[in-house]
Amino acid sequence: MSTILSVSGLRVSYGRIEAVRGVDLSVGTGEFVGIIGSNGAGKTSMLRAVTGVVRPAAGSVTFDGADATGLKSHQMVARGLAMVPEGRMVFADQSVRDNLVLGAYSRIASDPRGVEEDIEKTLGMFPRLRERIGQQAGTLSGGEQQMLAIARGLLSRPRLLIIDELSLGLAPKILDMLFPVLTELNRQGLSILLVEQMASYALAVTHRTYVMENGRVLFDGPSAELAGDDRVLDAYLGRRTRH
Amino acid sequence: MEALLQYLLTGLSAGAIYSMIALGFYVMWSAAKAVNFTFGDVFMLGGVLTVVLREMGLPLPMAAAAAILIAALSGAVIERVFVRPFNREANAIGWMLTTIAVGTMMESFTTATYGPLGRAMPTPLVEQPVRIGGAGIYLQELLLPVVLVAMTLALEAFYRRTVLGRAMRAVAYNRVAAGLVGIDADRITMLAFALAGGIGALAGFLVAPIVQASSSMGVVVGLKGFLVAIIAGIANAPGVVITGLMYGVLEKFVEAYLSTAARDAIGFTVMILVLLLYPQGIFGRREVQKV
Repeated sequence: MSTILSVSGLRVSYGRIEAVRGVDLSVGTGEFVGIIGSNGAGKTSMLRAVTGVVRPAAGSVTFDGADATGLKSHQMVARGLAMVPEGRMVFADQSVRDNLVLGAYSRIASDPRGVEEDIEKTLGMFPRLRERIGQQAGTLSGGEQQMLAIARGLLSRPRLLIIDELSLGLAPKILDMLFPVLTELNRQGLSILLVEQMASYALAVTHRTYVMENGRVLFDGPSAELAGDDRVLDAYLGRRTRH
Repeated sequence: MEALLQYLLTGLSAGAIYSMIALGFYVMWSAAKAVNFTFGDVFMLGGVLTVVLREMGLPLPMAAAAAILIAALSGAVIERVFVRPFNREANAIGWMLTTIAVGTMMESFTTATYGPLGRAMPTPLVEQPVRIGGAGIYLQELLLPVVLVAMTLALEAFYRRTVLGRAMRAVAYNRVAAGLVGIDADRITMLAFALAGGIGALAGFLVAPIVQASSSMGVVVGLKGFLVAIIAGIANAPGVVITGLMYGVLEKFVEAYLSTAARDAIGFTVMILVLLLYPQGIFGRREVQKV
């Protein structure tokens, strides 16, 4: 299996605080990979460095076989990486449709017809968004905003979609609707890297999972195996019994 | 009654200039959370360059278009060289110092090369005042509020209907999110400063026939435009326009009933009082907390 994303020795610092202390990980083409870990484990900081929101202090990022270390976000998008950021960050003062158009910013000038088709496709995926197409994104519910953020991310036609905290603030009912969409996207060939605090969801949908703590990867393995691993059960799946 | 109408019309005319300047500040602030304090001098370039190019033999419309284009380019250059490197950290204020310094240099350079005196820019609209209900006013002065309205509507259409305008709003709303959808936020910011430069120069060109084009024409007007933007609430375009017009009218009434000397003292006092009452600006909303 070829590799779409590989990260090696990645370090991220904010002033004197080191949030990520040498992370190695990779996502295979077509793979669905999860990262779990408690709050403050460095997951979001690691993603910020991969997607060019911050510059890594050390280490390298390789995307689709080419070095991508230190590229800016918009350059990563041009290479085929899209991120659904933590907290969704929809453009609240613009309509749902305009958010989608902005998702396709990198290719709308060269391929307006393709963009229209893709908008139709994502609206088919999320019918709720079609109902709210003219509404300001800020007036949507949390679940709808997450749908919009995913749809917006897809409109750049990424080869790797990174999602940071899909479940944040969302009701289980919404999650039961969103996760199957990711599984379906992955089945269609999209590589996905999902960072998720709700470990049970992440382990259920992904192929492989990394466990991060204190800015490092503790271990990784097939998600099905980790779901039965004692360390994971105790720390992330809320098993109370000690042994 | 005639006098009232007179003050109202000339006030709206002067206010339209403040509004245009304030709109330029609004455009820059939205994109960068910083502004260009050379802006009064970019405004001056609109008038002075038009005069210079015209003296070199260009017809008025071409001279004005070239002056506006040059001013827009200078807006972009100022952003790239004097704002961006000094606005990297959150709450950075280095850009204030650099742009104020560059503005002063632009004014000095213009004084040295163009001369300290104002030069006339005759247009057909300042040959003869027209009479409206007993009030006398040049068509050029009446043109200013008309252009202001057109400019505001055009800006609104740009922000809402074009991909570039939407991208500018996206950058204004959240730079990180804009980058993550593929928008080069730095490039968009530079374009915003160029757009503002064009707006400022257009205002300078339009007012030059009335006040004469001089190297210092932008100093006080630039400051007032900025104050108007602040007391209106710099993130609200219609509010900025209305406030500018009101301030222009206020000034004319103070001039008429008190004195020209009292104008700025009273005008600035009013601004300070308004700011005390409305710290976010008259039309400003509290900035949405972004987590």
